[in-house]
Amino acid sequence: MDADAGLTGAKIDEMIRAEWAKSGIVPTAPVDDARFLRRVYLDVVGTIPPPEVAKSFALDRTPDKRARIVDTLLASPAYAEHWTTYWTDALLGQAQEPAIDEGAFQKWLSGRFAANAPWNQIVTELLTAQGVNSTGGPRYGGNGGGADGGGGGTMAGEPGAGASEGAPVNGAVNWFVKYKDTPQDLAGSASRIFLGVQIQCAQCHDHKTEKWKQEDFRGFASCFMRTRTEGLDKDKMGGRKRIDVVDIGRPLPRFLKNPELAVFTQAAPRALDGSDLSKGPDPRQALAAWMTSPQNPWFSKAIVNRMWGHFLGRGFVDPIDDIRPSNETSAPEVLANLSSNFQAGGYDLKRLIRLITATQAYQLSSAARAGGPKVTDAQQDKLWPRFRLEPLGPEELLNALMDATGVEATLRATGKVDVQRIRYMLFTAYSYLFDVDEEFDQTDFEGTISQALALLNGRLVGGGTSDVPGSALDSILARPGSDQDKIEALYLRAVSRPPTALESEYFVRYVNEPHPADVDPAAIVRPVRGPGMAGKKGAPNLAGPDPLGRLEMRDARTTNPKHRAFEDVFWALLNSSEFAFNH
Amino acid sequence: MSPHGDEAALDRRRFLAASAASFFGLLVSQALRTRDAHADTAPAAPATACIVLWLNGGPSHLDTFDPKPGTPSGGPFKAIKTRAPSIQLSQHLPRLAETADKIALVRGMSSREGSHQRARYLLHTGYAPNPTVVHPALGAWVSSKLGDPNGDIPAFVSIGGPSAAGGILGVQNGPFVVLQPGVVPENASHAPGVGDARFARRKAGLEMLESRFASETGDTKVEGREQVYAKAERLMASPHIQAFDLSDEPAAARAAYGDSDFGRGCMTARRLVESGVKFVEVQLDGWDTHKDNFNRTTALMGQLDPAVSALIHDLDQRKLLGKTLLVCLGEFGRTPKINGNEGRDHFPDAWSALLAGGGMRGGYVHGQTNEDGSKVVSGSVTVPNLFATAATQLGLNPDASAMSPIGRPIGVTDNGAPVKELVAKA
Repeated sequence: MDADAGLTGAKIDEMIRAEWAKSGIVPTAPVDDARFLRRVYLDVVGTIPPPEVAKSFALDRTPDKRARIVDTLLASPAYAEHWTTYWTDALLGQAQEPAIDEGAFQKWLSGRFAANAPWNQIVTELLTAQGVNSTGGPRYGGNGGGADGGGGGTMAGEPGAGASEGAPVNGAVNWFVKYKDTPQDLAGSASRIFLGVQIQCAQCHDHKTEKWKQEDFRGFASCFMRTRTEGLDKDKMGGRKRIDVVDIGRPLPRFLKNPELAVFTQAAPRALDGSDLSKGPDPRQALAAWMTSPQNPWFSKAIVNRMWGHFLGRGFVDPIDDIRPSNETSAPEVLANLSSNFQAGGYDLKRLIRLITATQAYQLSSAARAGGPKVTDAQQDKLWPRFRLEPLGPEELLNALMDATGVEATLRATGKVDVQRIRYMLFTAYSYLFDVDEEFDQTDFEGTISQALALLNGRLVGGGTSDVPGSALDSILARPGSDQDKIEALYLRAVSRPPTALESEYFVRYVNEPHPADVDPAAIVRPVRGPGMAGKKGAPNLAGPDPLGRLEMRDARTTNPKHRAFEDVFWALLNSSEFAFNH
Repeated sequence: MSPHGDEAALDRRRFLAASAASFFGLLVSQALRTRDAHADTAPAAPATACIVLWLNGGPSHLDTFDPKPGTPSGGPFKAIKTRAPSIQLSQHLPRLAETADKIALVRGMSSREGSHQRARYLLHTGYAPNPTVVHPALGAWVSSKLGDPNGDIPAFVSIGGPSAAGGILGVQNGPFVVLQPGVVPENASHAPGVGDARFARRKAGLEMLESRFASETGDTKVEGREQVYAKAERLMASPHIQAFDLSDEPAAARAAYGDSDFGRGCMTARRLVESGVKFVEVQLDGWDTHKDNFNRTTALMGQLDPAVSALIHDLDQRKLLGKTLLVCLGEFGRTPKINGNEGRDHFPDAWSALLAGGGMRGGYVHGQTNEDGSKVVSGSVTVPNLFATAATQLGLNPDASAMSPIGRPIGVTDNGAPVKELVAKA
C-alpha cells in the first residue's frame, strides 16, 4: 500500500537474524500476548492497558491482532498526548526560564502529533519558529501539564490580554525562548537532538576524537544569532510576560556586545558540512532546509535511532544522540535501511512505529533463555537478543498507577475535588521524584530511596488501593465470584495478565488467613504534611487540601480484615518490579 | 585570579593532564592524597561532615556580610562590631556578631554567572553548566568518598530545597530531599492503617511477586531495585530517622534556632551530622530581592541570624565544629546600585561567603571589595577555588576525578586550588 513497501518487519527481521547468527546469538522466545499488549501500550501511549482490553485481547484469535492494536493506539488521542510529553521533556527539559509557556508549547506539539505531521516539517517549524510564545495572562498553578491539561492557563488561541497586538501566537517558539540568552546552547541542542551529532563539545575546544573544530561550532551557532526575543509586557507586574520571537536579518547587537557571544555572532552562518547558510532571508531557514534535506546524512538516522532506542531500550547507536564514526553502530544495515525507508515514506512517524513494533526483535520475550548468556552481557545486549527491562518514566509510572487504581474516578465520586489539579500536583511530584537520565545505556537499576518510599508508603498507592466506596477495589469486591476471580481482576488491572496457578493459590490463601489488626483504627494520626516547596526548582507544590490522604484516612478506619488483605494484594502488585518495569 | 599566580596554575594543569592519563576510568585513589599537587594544604585530620546553608536567590552582600554604611550603595543598615576585631556585620546579624570569632568571611567571591539557574548549578557543583555532562553536587562527591553505601541513612541530605544531583556519580550519591524540616520525612513512616505487622504481610506478598519476576527475567535490574527498596526500609526502621524529628528537643534549644523552617532545618542538620550524615544542605529561600530589598532582607536575616549562630554554638559545644565544615552562601551577590523599586539586582562580580568550622580560620576576613562593593580589590576567590578549599578540608583531593559517560574525566573541582589563607594554622 505504501510507495516504499519494500521494507517490512519481516525484512528487518532477516537482517537482524543475520547479525545474531554472526555473533552466535540465540534470541529469547517470542513474547506472549499479555506482555506484548502491556509493552506496546507503554511504548506507544505511555500507560498500561485497561483490564477489559487485557481480557479481550487474550480472547481475540485473529492472527493480525498485534498489528491492529498498534493501529488502534496510533489513532487514539493518547498517542499525541504521550509524544507531546516525550518531546516536551526532550526539548524543554527542566528549563527554568520563566518566560517559557510550556502549555502553549505542548498545545502546538500535540496538534502536530495528532495530525501526524511529517517529522521534517515538525523540525523545520521548530527551527524557524517566529511569533509570540504565549497569550499571556496568569501563570498556571493548579492545572495541567498535559496536552489538554485543563487549559494550561495560557493556551494558544485563547483570547488573552493584549493578544491582538503584534505577531500571532506560535507555541513552537518556546523552544527558542528557552535559549534566548544562550543561543549557542540552542545550536548544541539542535545538533544533538535532531542530528545526533554532539558538536557542543567544540564550543570550548576542538573535538578530541572527531573532526569538529571550534569554528564549525561557531558557524553553526551563528545561525541563531539573528533572531530577536522581545518582551511585550515589560512594565506589567505579575502574570506571564509574553515574548515575541522575530528574525531581524542581521546579527543581534546585544549578542555582538556580549564578549562570550560575539565570537558566535560574528561567524558566518554555516552548516556542519561547511555549506554556506548566509543566503536567503534568515540563516535559520537555510539551516532547517539543510538539516531536513534528503542529502543530510544524519537527519533520518537520528530520529530512527531515537525511536528504535525508545522501543527497544537501546538504539543502534548508544547513547541515542551520539552518532559518530568512533561510536560503534549495531546492525548498521538495519539503521541505514530504516532511515532511507523513513525518508522515502515521507518522514511518517506512525509508519515508523508500525514497522518497529512489528519486528521480531521488538516482540521478543524479556525472560532469560534457559542456558543462554547472562542478560548483563554487554556485547550481546547490543543486538537486542531479548527485550530489555526499562523502569517506567515518571509520566508512565503516574499514568499506570492512576489507571490501575482508577483513583481519578474514586476522587470524582467523593464530590468537590479538582481532579485535574491533583493530577498536575502528582505529575509534578512524580517528575521530581522519578525523573532519571535515561539518555545513556544503563545496565544497573538506578533508583532513589525517596522513590521507593513514595511507592511503599505514599498517598497515591495508599489511597488508590483503598477499599472505599467508588474505588476500583470496592467494585471488584462487590462483584459476585470467588476469591480467585477477584485476585485475577486485580492482576489484570495492575500487571495486565491473569495470575499463574501458583500465584492464584498463594493469594487465595493469603486473603483467607487471619490478618493482623495491628493498628487501632481510632488512634490513626497521619504525620503533618508540610506546605511543600512551592516555587522551588522542579519541586512539587503539595500545599492545599489533600484528597488522596483523606481516602487513606477514611479507609484506615474500616476494619473488614479480608478487605484489608485484598488491599494488601493490590498494594504488593503496584509495588512489584513487574509493575515498575516495561518488560 | 588565583592568589597562587600563573605558575602554580600551570603546574596544576600539567599535573591534571598526567593524572587523567594515568588513572583513566578510575577515581584517583585515596592513598595518593598525600602525594598530590595540594599535599601541602591537605589537613592532617580532615573534617568528616559538611553543612551548607543555602541562601537561595542571591543575598545582598552589602546588607549582610560586607556592609558599607554611609555610602550611596550601602543602604540604610548600620554596621556593628563583632567579637572579631576585623569583622563588621550588618546590624541585623547581632547574634552572629557574638560568634564572629568562629567564622571566616570571604569577601572576594567573584564569578561570571548572573542567572539563577546557571549560578545555582555553579555554586552546587563548582562548574559552569555544560550541556555534555551533569557534574555532581559537592554533596555527591562527599557521599561517594565519605559515605557508607550500606548505611541506614543517606550520606547526603537536602532540607527545604532540591540541592543538585549526583550526576555522573549516580543517583545513589544524590541528595535525599526532605521537604518539611522538624518531622520525620514524608513517606518514611507507615501509611495510616498500616503498622509493622501489616507492613510485614504486605512485604510477604511483594516478595513472592519479586522472586517470581526475578526468576522469569534473570535480570540484575530487578535485584538493583530490590536493593533500593531494602535501603528505604532500613531508613524507615533506622533509629537515625528520629534525627529528623525535633519533638524530643527541649523548647529552649529549639527556640535558640528561631521559630522558622530554616531554624528547624539547621537544628536537624546538626542532629543528622551527629547521626553520621556526611553532607547536609539547608535552604533559606527568598533572597532574590529585586523589590523591597531592605525590608525583605531584614526579615530573612531575622531567620538566618539565630539559626546560623545557634548551629555554630551547638556544634562547638558538642566538639563537632572542628570536624564539621559550615558554608553559608547563595548563588551571587546583589548590585551596589539600588534600583527604582528599592531593590537590588543580580551581581556575580563581587560578593561574600561565610565559612566556619572544619579547620577554617576563625575571626578572619579574606579579600576586600572597593568602597561601593562593586569590585573585588584584593583576595579574589573563584568558585572553583572555594570548592577546592572545602574539598581539601573534607579530605578530598580537588584534582581527583570520575569518568563521564562520554569518557571524559570530571574532576572534583574545576581546576580549583585551595585558598591557604582561609585555613587555620595547625
